[in-house]
Amino acid sequence: MKVIKITAVWCGTCLIMNKTWNKVLKEKNIETISLDYDMDEEEVQGYQVGKKLPVFIFMNNNQEIKRVVGEHSYEDMLKIVSDLENE
Amino acid sequence: MNRYLKYLVVLVLSFILLLPSTYAKDITLYFFHGDGCPHCAAEETFLENHQNELKDINIVKYEVWGNSENRDLLKKIGKKFDIEITGVPVNIVGNTLVKGYLDDSSTGQKILNMINYYRDNDYTDYVQELLEGNTEVVKTNDKATEYKKKKSTHTITIPIIGKVDLEKVSLSFATIIIGLVDGFNPCAMWVLLFLISALLGMKDRKRMFIIGFTFILTSGLVYLGILLSWINIVVKVSTSILFRNIIAVVAIIGGLINLRSYLKSLKEEDGCDVVDDKKRKKIFTKIKTFTREKSLVLAMLGAVGLAISINIVELACSAGLPLVFSELLTINNISGIQSLLYVLLYILFFLIDDLIVFTIAVITMTSTGISSKYNKYSHLIGGIIMLIIGILLILKPGWLMFTFK
Repeated sequence: MKVIKITAVWCGTCLIMNKTWNKVLKEKNIETISLDYDMDEEEVQGYQVGKKLPVFIFMNNNQEIKRVVGEHSYEDMLKIVSDLENE
Repeated sequence: MNRYLKYLVVLVLSFILLLPSTYAKDITLYFFHGDGCPHCAAEETFLENHQNELKDINIVKYEVWGNSENRDLLKKIGKKFDIEITGVPVNIVGNTLVKGYLDDSSTGQKILNMINYYRDNDYTDYVQELLEGNTEVVKTNDKATEYKKKKSTHTITIPIIGKVDLEKVSLSFATIIIGLVDGFNPCAMWVLLFLISALLGMKDRKRMFIIGFTFILTSGLVYLGILLSWINIVVKVSTSILFRNIIAVVAIIGGLINLRSYLKSLKEEDGCDVVDDKKRKKIFTKIKTFTREKSLVLAMLGAVGLAISINIVELACSAGLPLVFSELLTINNISGIQSLLYVLLYILFFLIDDLIVFTIAVITMTSTGISSKYNKYSHLIGGIIMLIIGILLILKPGWLMFTFK
């Protein structure tokens, strides 16, 4: 499983979720590709991100299996990852 | 066109700011007396002994025994209020008259009651009207002299916050709450965070502190100007009930808009709303340009320019709360230095989230965000506050007069 993490330096929630995700990565070994909404504009456009950040796109064999938007707790994110791993 | 509109708003606000303004709803006690009249002298002493309590009251004295003009005025006042005046002292506030002076505990207390009545209720200076030529007869209000300043019995229940005794809640507490709620809207925070990220790239803590602090300080000063303009407008119009009700309706509408935003946000994820691309990129370019300036002064000027333009745009983002705050100051007869202190207190708490984020960034040299959940609650609490104040402004303006020492 792979995760595309789309955030922005000016987005307070993104800064919080960066920390949350780093905590998750201490528990789970998941390849994470971080994109910046402004710096990596072209790549980001390919994912139809919409107007709310941050966005976590979970992929399996380059197929999107789940998308998580906005602010979530560490426990929530850990559960989401576990559920996806068990699928 | 948009750019000119922005400069027009600044022009109008600064013009209003410079307008000379008479602060607050001034209550005037007209004291007609005679030199050598013992009762008048007794009242004179009484008024002196109560100077502290009457700080907010203008006392205008007319000696009638030696001055025929003053005597004529007193006669006209008798006609204005359709009342027979045979002697002095005579005291007038609004359309209430107190004739003669027995002693402090009776007549003195009546005068204090009369003044308290007009502090807590609508007040029109009919003697001033008469002096301006309006001789239309006015019915006297005789119950004002019996008015007892109610001990705080006004309690209301606010959802979440619970029972609140409005008379005890200090104006400073209300200032802090409204300032905090006003400050927690996301409008300018994203600019500060981008500025911090750009400055972090410089890896120069001192320079980062100077430029970042310049941005926040300028934001505070711009908002200070905006608030003082609001107060200047409200003070001018607040003596008329019509305008006070218009402000009340604006507050109620603002409150409903805030509550609607809160309800809308319940259905959405907590996160950052991406600001319109063009505007965002324009600001990024500005920030990148001035943060890379070799000269620190030019970089600071860039920060000042950015802060001014951002905070004017943000005016629309939080126009409701400053207006409600200004009305609160005005209705409490707060003016001059005291009103400036309240404005500074407001701005301190308005900027507190920016100060926290910036201080952490300077200390840790990393950028931290504030959860967007607080924006949601700022809509909720801001909405409730504006609704309550708007409704009270119409139904019970007296309740909004906090007693505080």
